[in-house]
Amino acid sequence: MKSPLRSLAAAAAATLLLSACGGGQDAGEGAAAGPVTIDYWLWDTAQQPQYQACADAFTKANPGYTVKITQYGWDDYWNTLTTSFVSGTAPDVFVSHLSRYPEFAAQGQLLPITDRVTTDKIDLSQYQDGLADLWVAKDGQRYGLPKDFDTVAVIYNTDKLKEAGIKPEEMTKLTWNPQDGGTYEDVIARLTVDVNGKRGDEPGFDKKHVATYGLGLAGSGAGFGQTEWSMYTMSNGWQYGDQNPWPTTFNYADPKFKDAIRWFTSLIDKGYMPTMEIASAGTGQIDAYGAGKYAMVTEGSWNTKTYWGLKGVKSALAPTPIGPTGKRASLLNGLADNISAGTDNPDAAWAWTKFLASPACQEEIVAKEAVVFPAIKSAKAKAEQAFADAGIDVKPFTMHVQDGTTHLAPIAEHWADITAIMTETMDSVFSGKSDVNALDEANTKVNALLG
Amino acid sequence: MAATTALVGRPRHGRVIPWGRIAGWAVLVLVMAATLFPFYWMLRTSFSNTRSLAAGAADLLPADFTLGAYRRVLGLSSTAEAVAEGGSGGSVNFWLFLRNSIVVATSVTVGQVFFSAMAAYAFARLRWPGRDAVFLLFLTALMVPPIFTTLPNFVLIKELGLLNTYLGIVLPHLLMTPFAVFFLRQFFLGVNAGLEEAARIDGAGHVRIFFRIILPVNRGPITTLAILTYITSWNDYFWPLLVGKDESVRVLTVALGIFRSQTPQGSPDWAGLMAATLFAALPMIILFAVLGRRIIDSIGYTGVK
Amino acid sequence: MTSETVNAAAPPTVEAASRGTPPPPTRRLGDLPVAVLFVLPAAIGFVVFYLWPALRGLYLSLTKYNVLTPPRFVGTANYERLLGDHLFWNALKVTAEYVVINIGTQTVASVLLAVLLHRLTRSLLVRGVVLLPFLVANVVVALLWFWMLDYQLGVVNHALDWLGLERVAFFGDSDLAIPTVALVNTWRHLGYTALLIYAGLQMIPPSVYEAAALDGASEWRMFWRVTLPLLRPVMAMVMVLTVIGSFQVFDTVAVTTAGGPINATRVIYFYIYDLAFNRFNFGYAAALSSVLFVILAGVAYLQLRLTRAGESDLKGA
Repeated sequence: MKSPLRSLAAAAAATLLLSACGGGQDAGEGAAAGPVTIDYWLWDTAQQPQYQACADAFTKANPGYTVKITQYGWDDYWNTLTTSFVSGTAPDVFVSHLSRYPEFAAQGQLLPITDRVTTDKIDLSQYQDGLADLWVAKDGQRYGLPKDFDTVAVIYNTDKLKEAGIKPEEMTKLTWNPQDGGTYEDVIARLTVDVNGKRGDEPGFDKKHVATYGLGLAGSGAGFGQTEWSMYTMSNGWQYGDQNPWPTTFNYADPKFKDAIRWFTSLIDKGYMPTMEIASAGTGQIDAYGAGKYAMVTEGSWNTKTYWGLKGVKSALAPTPIGPTGKRASLLNGLADNISAGTDNPDAAWAWTKFLASPACQEEIVAKEAVVFPAIKSAKAKAEQAFADAGIDVKPFTMHVQDGTTHLAPIAEHWADITAIMTETMDSVFSGKSDVNALDEANTKVNALLG
Repeated sequence: MAATTALVGRPRHGRVIPWGRIAGWAVLVLVMAATLFPFYWMLRTSFSNTRSLAAGAADLLPADFTLGAYRRVLGLSSTAEAVAEGGSGGSVNFWLFLRNSIVVATSVTVGQVFFSAMAAYAFARLRWPGRDAVFLLFLTALMVPPIFTTLPNFVLIKELGLLNTYLGIVLPHLLMTPFAVFFLRQFFLGVNAGLEEAARIDGAGHVRIFFRIILPVNRGPITTLAILTYITSWNDYFWPLLVGKDESVRVLTVALGIFRSQTPQGSPDWAGLMAATLFAALPMIILFAVLGRRIIDSIGYTGVK
Repeated sequence: MTSETVNAAAPPTVEAASRGTPPPPTRRLGDLPVAVLFVLPAAIGFVVFYLWPALRGLYLSLTKYNVLTPPRFVGTANYERLLGDHLFWNALKVTAEYVVINIGTQTVASVLLAVLLHRLTRSLLVRGVVLLPFLVANVVVALLWFWMLDYQLGVVNHALDWLGLERVAFFGDSDLAIPTVALVNTWRHLGYTALLIYAGLQMIPPSVYEAAALDGASEWRMFWRVTLPLLRPVMAMVMVLTVIGSFQVFDTVAVTTAGGPINATRVIYFYIYDLAFNRFNFGYAAALSSVLFVILAGVAYLQLRLTRAGESDLKGA
């Protein structure tokens, strides 16, 4: 019985050896003659058709290259990507996200494109202001070129607005402040209706049994709050950190932030906005809005089409309210494509990335699909037109870039750890278990991560 | 006593008023109702238009009845149609993926049950030094968090050049799972020693005892294990997603993953997801319906042919 | 084959086999050659796909490792950090709460169900229906219940409304979130567990019941005096398996509460996963996994000892 044991040991040894060289790159692939296939990953099926069209146009212009698009759902995308980096099976090019790419870049998994951008004389000013800066990592290297941008606006139910006796014009002039909430809070109160039909601004309003909340709530927003509270905190003169990108300290303990959050969460106590229990006990803001439980919501532009697709509700857009600074505010965020450091064919990967970031793809194809706003300035008019053709006036989203009221999305190291700390604290504040002063401790912890 | 007994027969209690039985049936009916209602809800949702579900949340009937979800699952609807009903443009090559699922689940089940039974025999019926220690070691594998195994196994399969092959998908579960070995060992322990002894006096070796006594006597547990293994393997998602991206080996669950949410904070295509789930379960339900009688017979029989 | 030579040895009775009676001195190796042959395929699978990754994980727990760059040895730093990590202790507490509720409800209900199935009906339909939830993948079950239990849109809350009761935020209330997750998983695994136990019931010779019935024993007495004792090896296994599985709850939490509200459902496995794949803190995650492994091994060992799983009371039957 010695031999079976020995082969067992041999098998084990072989495994050790094999696993030990994991993480190495494919040696066998690449260098093959004939057309080069570029492996490209994305997560959003709604955007797959437009990028397939771009891929077709790209192959037509560059017959030596073909693009193979693979799509994964958001929940699987990052796991699969991480695993593929470990095993050296990563795609050549993939759609990336601001909250993820710094970590990949820091670990040497992404191909810097700084030199190629210079050599090919890519005009970075063709993109919406600031967008391109987001894709330069802490090491000073550029890893991506912007492909689209998004902002935040208010989506409201037009029937409920009419029932409340509010005119659509009023919605464009709303103001808010952290003391009494301004006309914005008046509208939210008016739109709130309890089970007996009493409105939020009427005597006898039963805040414990609300049929329709004036404003929906998606969650506490953790440390980002893009669609939840960023438009209030930033129109109150607050900034995420001492600088952006790559802050060295965060400002979650700033009174301007606390005031805005204290006012915002007061809407919950007043019964104008659902509690955290309700908001987190279900399937989400979009479904609740579709069921008529919310009269208005604050939303990101990427979800616009979904709202208009809902049956049984009619919607319109309004800009986020003007704050104490006298201006509106919206975060400006966007996606870009990254190239894997381990790509077999950097030239092909670059050619495809460059094409995705060019007017040929963004202005001629993506803009016309009316799913996202292309990052290229000149494509904005076409995109607005395409949305208008679909019956959606997207000015409340795009006016921010026009009026210069955008603020670049925060991009920082250790973002996942920051999110973990802030989720705990903000959830606690939003559910009334802590005072806003709990933010002091959270901010100290966050800054310790960066220090 | 000799273990060869006839078919299981329930003891009769004719003289007692069967209040217990009535209460028992009441509980059983209640359990079945609690089990079935969510399935009705899946069915109802799958015949709904995803876009209308929110507005018609309280209806017991499908909201805005449509077969669209099933058309999406089968890849029959165009992207535009799919998107209009709240779905995505992803289409599914149903029959190919069904075949892949059957190949994968069947080979995993056959391999895993057979090899685990062999090991269980050695642990339950043979005497050898270190047996209990080795068994305990095997048992500890139950507690190895999958997070440890996924990455190294993926790297190994890749190094062996088995990505996008059936073998790559089935290999980690083909030879054993600690569950299967443990399960069968517990049943093999209970086999009456007299049977083995008799066979041995007849001159049977271990291989023969294994095939002619242990396996037939334990047909019930083995069938049960095979069913459970088949279902588990059929529903496995993350591993085949990593290893079998390629269309030629993609299994049904992976293909149906496209009905889960496509964007952060986005909600899934509910109707599509439910239709897909029912579709994925259907082959197994049919399998059980067809093989049902056989399975019952084998489970209900505790003797040797 | 070597089997002929082994015939001379006394055939192992269940009792001898399980209590580890020392083999006769003349045959110190016992059935070893045959045993190796029988265990070999499973052993290869075990070493390659379980043992090696586990050892590697153990090593990684002593390193700082972010998955994508090579690990750096840091000694016991991860374990020291763990002691002061309130999220770790919270995760243990939450997981324990989950396990108690899940295993408690699931075990009682599945034994009851298995006995009912065994004593009342041989209907394939009934057994098929009971197993149905297990046919649906975990993630889908979780999503389905999340949808059905939604505070504002869920059919369950509509039913509560209709009955004149207050709506309940099942997944959103920090006191209810863990029981809700536990009961959802009980729903999915009830039929599965019942079927395992049912398989054990099938192994009990009917003659035992017939004898008991002749003695005039009631169903209730038979259950406690006959069924449960004879079921012990199978019950022990089922308990070990379900408890271990229960400790590793992940999918349900990941698609519903994602650890919230305020860490109320941040079970240990979800925390480990979040650390490893979202926060690229694999070394620390490996340390947590190792601790979880030790806890599970301890629990399983205790269970096996308490239930004397190696023995069967069937031997005298």
